[in-house]
This record gives sequence, structure tokens and C-alpha cells, in this order.
Amino acid sequence: MTDTTTRAAPAVKMAVRALNFYYGKFQALKNIHLDIPANRVTAFIGPSGCGKSTLLRTFNRMFELYPEQRAEGQILLDGEDLLTSRQDVALIRARIGMVFQKPTPFPMSIFDNITFGVKLFESLSRLDLEERVEWALKKAALWDEVKDKLSQSGASLSGGQQQRLCIARGIAIKPELLLLDEPCSALDPISTARIEELIAELKKDYTVIIVTHNMQQAARCSDYTAYMYLGDLVEFGETEQMFFKPGRRETEDYITGRFG
Amino acid sequence: MNIAPETAAGVRRSAFSILAAALGFGHPEFAARARRFARRRYANMIALSLSFAAMLFGVFWLLWILWETLAIGFGSLNLALFTENTPPPNDMGGLANAIYGSFLMAALAAFVGAPVGVLSGIYLAEYNPRGWLAVTVRFVNDLLLSAPSIVIGLFVYAVIVIRFRQFSGWAGAAALALIVIPIVIRTTENMLALIPSSLREAAYALGAPKWKVIVKVTLNAARAGVLTGILLAVARISGETAPLLFTALNNQFWKSGLSGPTASLPVTIFQYAMSPYENWQQLAWAGVFLITLAVLGLNILARLISATRNGSSS
Amino acid sequence: MNEKHLSSQFDSDLNNISSQLMAMGGLVETQVHRAIAALAGFSATLAAEVIETDDQVDNMEVTIDRALTSIIALRQPTARDLRLLLAISKITTNLERVGDETHKIARMVKSIVESGGARNMPIGDLRVATDLAADLIHRALDAFARLDVSAAIVIMKEDDLIDREFKGFTRKLITYMVEDPRAISDSLNLLFLAKAVERIGDHAKNIAEFIIYIVKGTDVRHSSLTQVETALQEP
Repeated sequence: MTDTTTRAAPAVKMAVRALNFYYGKFQALKNIHLDIPANRVTAFIGPSGCGKSTLLRTFNRMFELYPEQRAEGQILLDGEDLLTSRQDVALIRARIGMVFQKPTPFPMSIFDNITFGVKLFESLSRLDLEERVEWALKKAALWDEVKDKLSQSGASLSGGQQQRLCIARGIAIKPELLLLDEPCSALDPISTARIEELIAELKKDYTVIIVTHNMQQAARCSDYTAYMYLGDLVEFGETEQMFFKPGRRETEDYITGRFG
Repeated sequence: MNIAPETAAGVRRSAFSILAAALGFGHPEFAARARRFARRRYANMIALSLSFAAMLFGVFWLLWILWETLAIGFGSLNLALFTENTPPPNDMGGLANAIYGSFLMAALAAFVGAPVGVLSGIYLAEYNPRGWLAVTVRFVNDLLLSAPSIVIGLFVYAVIVIRFRQFSGWAGAAALALIVIPIVIRTTENMLALIPSSLREAAYALGAPKWKVIVKVTLNAARAGVLTGILLAVARISGETAPLLFTALNNQFWKSGLSGPTASLPVTIFQYAMSPYENWQQLAWAGVFLITLAVLGLNILARLISATRNGSSS
Repeated sequence: MNEKHLSSQFDSDLNNISSQLMAMGGLVETQVHRAIAALAGFSATLAAEVIETDDQVDNMEVTIDRALTSIIALRQPTARDLRLLLAISKITTNLERVGDETHKIARMVKSIVESGGARNMPIGDLRVATDLAADLIHRALDAFARLDVSAAIVIMKEDDLIDREFKGFTRKLITYMVEDPRAISDSLNLLFLAKAVERIGDHAKNIAEFIIYIVKGTDVRHSSLTQVETALQEP
């Protein structure tokens, strides 16, 4: 594995230590060690079933919704182990935003979609809420398109707009970490470009992790890339290095399309 | 019906292919392919005509029933139907007490059955859907769903009517509620199961507690489907006769409450239609007409609700 | 490049462009040999041939560049493939320059022959350098075909030999010029020839550097041999 901590050495936001993950008896992640740099975009790439989405879903303990899934090891967010934390899981999730593969607008108005998460942990006045909605929508580059129809259903937006609404909803709760699980796989190239633009913008304030099938996308919008295969973290390094001269043969084969 | 142009095109095309085959168009394979193609068109035509005939057969009876009901029932419609109580034989009267009784019992059954059904459906879909309790409940619910309604009537008769030594509207409503509950459970569970898990996860990812996820997100998303299920259940019970025979029995007179034997449309229809008296038979037809209209209305309403849901979510 | 891509079209595109480059290399090598022979024998016919063929070399460069552009636009190559294509682009440029040098030599030979002053020039002293240059180009193309890093390093070392030969030859020419001022114009011609030969060696060295770039991903241009060797020690 290439050691990147020596080079640019940004602060570590999340550290994964000896993480194992099981779906029932099947081991989906094998002894993962990984440092996610703060205020950078980290991309997880790898073929289907390599465990990249699984890894992402351990970060906010989403797997706990399903009784047969379990994780062992440590996931340290600013040094605090999320897996053994005595904090309520809801509080942990509120620190970590997540956007899914398919847009998931809630069955309510655009305004309520964004305030849903905010209201869970903050009691704001109507005015403050409105301000927060505007702020989140502007961050997600959606404000201009929806400012006149905030009371319309979130489902009335186009796919790309819905996905940006979901991103706005995720940042409205002011998380420290933003997890994107293939956020563009259901979108057309223009919406994709918008969201990639947005990701570049977001890393000023957030630490972003993106899972993607699209290697070009990882190359375009991430600072660091992790290549995973069959539950192993094969290589982790700066994206430029990974796409120009990866340290390991397996990575190079995958990245150049010699996989199979 | 777009069958005619289809068929015409088929005939034209098979004529063309036969001609092409006869002339030996191109090389031999072309002829073989054209023959196969012609055969396929032919098979398609037969299948299409058969299914069309089957459809006609079904629709024919349905329309006939509707026509008879409407034609005869409509003739016996008048204002007295809604203002006067059921009369003695060979006297003038209406169905007011039966309509009111039916409405009261159906409303009570829906009022009790729908929340129980929705909550149980939520348990089955959202809380531990694969636990032994859920599996058992689901199995029993399926039994209840397919149980003949007379069995339910008999059950309520044994449990309530015998115990209190009295037929009553309460017992009738209880029997109807027992029919509503499994239907609502089933539709609620199915509708909730249709909500993609990513929507749930998205709500959890924001840190929402479970009850909030269910109330605000999943149930909200399934709202139209759940409402449709309730409406269909109401439509179903508004025509049920068997469970009321042993429970609410019937009553000649107006009653404001549900204690004691209570009149209902289906039971009244059942009795009057079987009677030899002309005026009772007329009233039975009018009752049938009213029920048909009500069920039709509820179904159309259910359609409209689920249509708006589909319209907004896609 | 043994393993295949998922896309066999990509494979054949890469193979195609590699063999185009090899063809161009072959032609340039022939040009070098012809130019050297023209110089050795002061043959105007050979020189004319070189001049004529140079257009062909230029055309090949354009064709390869076009193919490169289309592969990059359509395939978005990464890692090894990206390095290969970048290197091919640079190697083509170097080969074209070698072609230009042979063209220069040929023109020079032609003008010397036409001015009739050729015979008593110390052409033999260039012999070592020309042979070395032709050999280097040949071996550089060979090493590229096999992506042979150690061969590439040897080539980089041997280019220094040509440079030393060139310096020696320059000194010798200066002596001639001092001794016999009438030989100055001929000597200057020879100096230009020697410079051209030296440039061919430099291009061979550049090609060798790109072979290392393809295989190791390290850019070894403008670094000393010892630096290169230590850089390559790393796994």
C-alpha cells in the first residue's frame, strides 16, 4: 500500500482499523485499515460486490437496520469509535450525511424535505428554518431552480434535481462527513457534471466519501482513491498517483480495464 | 379496438410472405424465414382472437348484471326509499332504517378495523417482518382473509350474541370489523413493503428515530395505497350479508343506536327478495341498486386515489 | 502488454498504433543508414533519396498523432495505457526529429558534392560517431518493442560516448582550421554534420527515457544517470 500520510498529510477525519464485516456468515470486508483525510474527497472504486458500498454503510452504522449484518473493529471519527460508542446511533448518523444511488425525496414538500432532518435535532424558528433551507439549497446549487416552488412535492423535480435535493437535505443538518453512494449512477451526464461540480465545492466544508462505479468520475472529482476487491482494500493513495502509476498490479489492471 | 388494423396488416404481410415464398425471393433461407414468420403471425392472430373472445364473455355477464340491477332498481327509486322505514308486506315504505343501519355498522367496523389493520400492517412490514410473531400473524391473517364470511358471522354469534343473549348492531359491526382487519392488514403490509428501503435508510441516515421514519416517511409514502385498501375493505363489507345474519339480524323499525337487532341493506335485500310480496321485491331491487352504486363509487374513488399517487410519484 | 483489455477493440487500437510507431522507426532507421552511407561515399543519389523520403516520415508522424488523439478522446486511457500513449507521442516527435537530422545531413552532403570540395575531408573521423548513432537508434527502437528498461539504461549511458566523440571531433576540426584557413568552410560543414549525428544520439537517448517512463512511471528526463539508477532502485 502506498503511504500517503507522509506527503500532503492532511488531518485524518475518520480512521478505520481492522474492520471486518459480515452478512450472516459471509465476510464482506476483510481487515480494512484506512485513513480518510479531512476536507478532501475520497473515492471508493472497485468491481461490483467488492465491498465499497458495504464499507460506506458501516460509517453511519446503516447496517444495523438489518439484524443479520455485523461489523467488528474500529471506526474512529475524530478519534471516537463509532462502533462501540455509547452515543445513540441517531446522534452519530446526524453527524454523517448520506446520499443514495437513487434519489430518495421524502413524500413531502421540498421545504419539508430539507427541514425534516433539521427539526430532529434543532428547534429553530420559522425564520431560521427558512434561512437554513435557502442556505442548504444554495450549497446544493438548487436554489435558483426551486425557490419559487418550495411547497411543491419533492417528487415533482427531475432526477438530477431530486438528487441535489437529497444532497441539500444531507448538508442541511450540517454533518461533518458526507457519504455519497453512487450518487450519479441514475443521472444523465449534465446532472452528473453538476453534482461533481458540487462535490468539489463541498469539500471546502466537509469531508466527502464517494462510492462510484465510474472510474472517470473518481478520477475527476476525488483527491484520494481506494481500490477494493473482494472485500480487501487493495490500494489507497492520491487519485493522481492511482490513475497514473498505481503501486499495485491489480489496481493498474482494474483501472486500465484489463479486469476480468 | 385496434384489432382490425393489426389483423389486416397480418393478412397483408402473410400474403406478401407467401408470395415471396412462391416466387423464391432471394435464396432459399428467405422463403423458410417468410414461412416461419407467416406461421407466427397466424398463431398471434388466433391467440389474440381467443383472448378477445374470453374478455367479451366476461364483460357480457358483468354488463348484464349491471344492466338488470340498474334497470329494475332504478325503476323502484323514489324519495320514500330514504325517508320511510321498511314496511309490512303489501304496504308502502322505504329502506331508511336499513340504509342507516348499514351505514352505522360499516362506519363503526371501518373506524375500529382500519386502525387495527393499519397498525398491524405496520408491525408486519416495519418491525421485525421475519420474526416468528410476524410469520404467525401473517399466516393467520391469510386464513382470515380467505375464510368464508359466514364463518366469521357464526364466530361472532357464538362469542357475542350468545354471551349477551341478544342480536345487536354492535355484534354486526364486530363481524364486519373482523372482515375489514385482514384486508387492511394485507394491503397496508404490501404497500409498505413496496416502499424502497433506500427511502427508509435516507430517513435513518439523517438520524430520525424509527417511529418518525414510519409516520413521516414510509406510511406517508404508502398513504394512497393504504387508503385504497381501507376503501376497498369498506366496499367489501357494505355488501356482506352472511356475517350480519347471525349478528345484527334485522329490524323493521328505525333505531338510532346499535343495541338490539339492527336493520341492514344486504339482510333486508336477502329477506325481501325471497319473499312472495311484490312491494318487498321492489324494495329489494332498489336496495341492490343502492349497494351496487355505493360499491361502484367506492371502487372508483379508490382508483382515483391510487391514480393520483402513481401520478405524483413517477 | 500481455494481458488483454475487456475491450478487444482497445487492444487492437493500441497494437495498431504501436506497430505504426515501429514502422516509422524502421523507416527512420533506414534514413539514418542511407544518410550515413551518403556521407561516407559522398553519394548525391543516396542523399537525394533521403531528402525525398523525409516527407514520408513527416506523414507518418501526422498519422500516428491523429490515431493517438482518437484513442485518447474515445478511451480515456489511464495508468500504463496513458503512459504508453504519451510516450508514443513523444517518441514520434523524436523520430521525426531524427528524420530531420538525416535530411540535414543529406542536404549537406549534396551541397558538398555539388561544390566539388569533398574528397580531402577527414570524413573517417566521423565514422565512429555515425555508427554509434545508427546503432543507438536501432537499439532504442528494439528496447521499446520489448519495453526493456535495462537496455534503455545502457542506451542512455552510450549516448555519452557519442557526445565525447563529438567533442573530440570538434577539437580536431579546430586544429584543422587553425592549420589551414582554406579548409574553414569545409570544416564548418563537417561541424554541422557532426552536430546532426550527435543530435541523432540525443534522440535515441530520449526514446530510451520514455521506455523507462512507460514501465516505471518515472520521468527521468533532465536527471543524471546516477539519479536515474537510484530512482529505479525503488520498487
